Parts: sequence; C-alpha cells; structure tokens
Amino acid sequence: MGFLELSHVKKRFGAFVAVEDFELITERGEFVSLLGPSGCGKTTTLRMIAGFEYPDSGSIKVDGKEITNLPPNKRNVGMVFQAYALFPNMTVASNVGFGMRVKKQSKDAITKRVGELLEMIHMPEKADRYPYQLSGGQQQRVALARALAVEPQVLLLDEPLSALDAKIRVALRNEIRAIQRQLGITTVYVTHDQEEALSLSDRVVVMSDGRIEQIGSPSEIYNFPATSFVASFVGTLNLLAARVVDPSAGRLSVEGQEIRAAKPIADARPARSSRSPCARRASRWRRVPREPTACAAPSWTSASSARSCASGSGSATGRPSRSTRSTTRT
Amino acid sequence: MKRRRGSIAWWLVFLLGVLYFFLPLVATLDFSLKAKPPFAAYTSSLQDPKFLGSLLYSLVIAGVTITASLALIVPTAYWVQLRVPRARSLVEFVTLLPFVIPAVVLVFGLIRVYSRPPLPFTHTDIGSSALLVAGYIVLSLPYMYRAVDTGLRSIDIRSLTEAAQSMGAGWLTILWRVILPNLRVALLSGAFLTLAIVLGEFTIANFLARPAFGPYLNLLSQSKAYEPAAVSLISFGLTWLAMIAIAFLGRDTRARIEIGGAH
Repeated sequence: MGFLELSHVKKRFGAFVAVEDFELITERGEFVSLLGPSGCGKTTTLRMIAGFEYPDSGSIKVDGKEITNLPPNKRNVGMVFQAYALFPNMTVASNVGFGMRVKKQSKDAITKRVGELLEMIHMPEKADRYPYQLSGGQQQRVALARALAVEPQVLLLDEPLSALDAKIRVALRNEIRAIQRQLGITTVYVTHDQEEALSLSDRVVVMSDGRIEQIGSPSEIYNFPATSFVASFVGTLNLLAARVVDPSAGRLSVEGQEIRAAKPIADARPARSSRSPCARRASRWRRVPREPTACAAPSWTSASSARSCASGSGSATGRPSRSTRSTTRT
Repeated sequence: MKRRRGSIAWWLVFLLGVLYFFLPLVATLDFSLKAKPPFAAYTSSLQDPKFLGSLLYSLVIAGVTITASLALIVPTAYWVQLRVPRARSLVEFVTLLPFVIPAVVLVFGLIRVYSRPPLPFTHTDIGSSALLVAGYIVLSLPYMYRAVDTGLRSIDIRSLTEAAQSMGAGWLTILWRVILPNLRVALLSGAFLTLAIVLGEFTIANFLARPAFGPYLNLLSQSKAYEPAAVSLISFGLTWLAMIAIAFLGRDTRARIEIGGAH
C-alpha cells in the first residue's frame, strides 16, 4: 500500500475534462513530479490533493486515510505556490509560524520551530523582515519553510520556481530536493519544465490532455518514452518520415537509405504505414549503414508498439544504450 | 512657442479649478467673520450644546454604519471575488442602486414598512436610529463596495486564502488575520467616505426626526445669519482631518505595496 494514493480520479469543468482517470501510488518519502504542458491537468490534480478542488469521482488517500472530500484545512498537506503567497502584513517569522498559531501551539514551541526552519532555509537573520523586503528566491524559501512548519504529511509544490530567474531556479531546486531528502517528506511537484522534473524526481508522471501518458523514473521517461507525446515533450527529437519496406524484418527506408528497427514492426499495414515518421534523440543520432540497428521504428499504430519497441531494444543491450533512445511519432 | 501656449492654458485651467473650489470657501469664511466681535459665530456655535450633541450623534451613527457596512460588504465582496466572480456585475448593479433611487424614496419606503406592526421601529428612539443606520448603509454601498473591491483586487486573495487554508485556517481566521489586515487602506478610504456622507446627510435623518448634524445645520441656517457659515467651515475642517488621517494611516502600507511590486 502506498502513502499517497490517487485512484480513478476524474475532474471536469463543465464540458472540459481536466483530469481523466488519474491513478498514482507514491511511497512515503518519494518525490514525484507531474510534468506536462499547460492545461494538461497537472495543477488540477495537485489542487485535488490539496483540497482546493474536489474530484467528480475517484478517491484520494493519505496513509490509508480517505481525504477525498475533506476541506483543505482539515487535511495535513503543505502547499507552495508559484506566486509565493506570503502574507504581506506579516514578518517572515510570523508567516512561518502562522500554521502553528492557527493550531494554537505554545509560543515557545512556535519560536523554536520557526528558528529551526529559518536555519534550514539559511535565513535566520531575516526573521523580522516583511515579504516586500525579500527577493523572489528568498520569498519562495520562506514559503517553503511556512509550508513545512505544520509538519504536513504531504508537501505540494505548484510550479514554485517558474517566477524566478534561471540561476536562482537551479540553486533553489537543489535546495528543495536537499530539504525534502533531509525531512523524508512525500512530495508532489508540478512543473512544465522537463529539466526540473527529470533532475529532481524519484518518479515523473507525464500528463497530456488530462491523462497520464507515462509514469516512470527520469531515466525511463527520457530513454524509453512510452508514447509519441512523451517522446516529443521530453528532450529534443529528430523526426524522420520513413517508408516501411518489410515489417517483419523491421526494415525501413528513409530518403532512400535503408535502416533496420530493433524489432519487427507490429501491426504495420503497408497501405497506411508506407511513410512512418521515426524520431531520434538529436545527440544520439548515427547514420544507419554504420550502425544497422540504430533506429527503432515502430509503426503509426499505437503507443504500445512504441513502448515495446523501445524497451525491447533496451533489454537487448542490457542497459539504456544509444540504440534505445529512440521512438516513433505517429 | 506652441509648448509655452499649452503650458499657459494648463495653468489657466488649474487656476479656474482652484477658484471654483476655494472661492465659496473664502466667501463663507469672510461672511462668517462679519459677526461682531470677529469670531462670535464660531464661539457661539461651539458653545451651543445642540451643535456638539448633533455632531456626536452623527459620529456615533457613522461609527455604527461603518462597522455594520464593513461586516456586510467585506465578506460579500471577498466571496464574490473568490467563488462567484460571475455574480460580480449583479452585485455591482445592486450597490449602484442608491444613485438611482433618491434618498427621499428610500426613507419613505423605510417609514411605510417599519412604522406599523409587526415592525414598529419608528415608535422608539433606538428603532429610528437603527433605521437611520440601515438607510446610511444603503447610501454608503457604492463607495464602500468599490473601495473594498479595489482593495481585494490589489492582493492575490485566492493564493493567500489557499495558503492559509492549507495551514489549517478556517474562514473566520482567514478573513480576520489575512484578508482584513491587507485591506487597511481600502477599508480606511471606504470608512472615511462613509463618515463624510453621514456627517452631511440631511434627507433621511430629517424624515426620521433624528437629532443628526445635517438637520441641525439646516435648522441653524433658517434661524441664524453667521453661525451656519461657521459650522459649515468647522465640518469642512473635520472632513479634511479625516482625509489627512487616511493619508497618514495608509502611507506605510502603500509604500510597502510599491516596493513589493518592484521585485
């Protein structure tokens, strides 16, 4: 049984399907990213875990306890927002201590914990500053400390680095990961930045149009994209239109050059697949005659054939090798 | 040359504006000082127990009106903005009704409904004062709602609310500790606009026979020569004090918002 479980979660806004049949089980202490373009349902999913939206169907459990219909203030989750959302009328220390004050904890306990958290984010000297006196990166660190102050069961981060400049973004994302590891807190991180997702997470959930495209470790997502969407969204690809010469032998023709796929092309129907695009990681491209099995080129048919093709060739070499970093696009 | 002519025109308009606003005041001041000895109009006004009494009454009514109208409008505007933004145009329309319906119609309506059983409010002093407050809440709606709504728009209430919620705060805590403190300037300007309306209002107070400042001023102008001018200037000075108070109390927060926005 996982720590945070979402099963068959669906959410519609009028006729628009925001999230369709979302399934995810995360372990305690795991760092999971939801990755996808805007409008793919990743933020809606996060907001349902936080309790700001309620799913139309399906259930959400934390540590075996059903929280699907609990209001947000009855769930024990910490949230960090893109826009920081620090309370402008309170100092850094008051912001961090807000949750504990709401829970009517003793003054001494609050002072102690706020001190610890400010140490952790390397800002003990800024306790009496107001949010407007801090830079964006500092504000977001305070927001992180504030979310952690109430010792939440799950930490949710909604594109926390999107409003920051590139240098601070990298520094802060490493800091977030270090703090997350140190506290061992289960974390769900929403981003549209593949680099962030791949560099931070234990597992990445790639989403598109409200559906999960693929769940896997960063290396799985990068090396073995399960669907054409994942292949095109994660990393940079070369797309080649290929003509299927012999499906059973996996032979393709690209601009007159013959290449061979790592495995036979299943379901290929010559009438429709006569020109099937083939995608490759740019950095890994080799010309076919020198390396005959370079390009996996399943057909136009389905995501499953792409996955079987990619993983098939991966297992053939025993590790994610150059020849496996390829997929097709339909 | 062209620019110079434009600048002269600008100054001319400015001067006309100054004259338009200040000539009546200067004239009033001049007239009020014609009483013999020079400040007699002021001293006799200030010594009149009815002056202080009616001013105090109006100030108390203003205080109650402001409190009640904030308690009504802040949660409403907050809820509309957060949960039912589609209802905003409807709510705005309702808050504009006092501009369409004259105060005299409003007060006749109030008297008709509330002067007979089962709701004989006008039979007692406190009941009549309650009706007066109710009328003033309606009159202050457009100003109060707009001030609060503008204040709410200037902060990211959705994120602040959600941040507070995720830390376990309920609605009352959020309104009291997060939303209200960040609306200080908006609440102050709404409050002082309401104060100005209540101090100068005549129609409703007169028809409800309340000992308010407006009717007192009116009565005074019918019976005395110089005192009404003096009292007008005193009330004008009080309004200005209120304005200065807004600027003073609001200064800190405004600077904060500007600096915060620069990041």
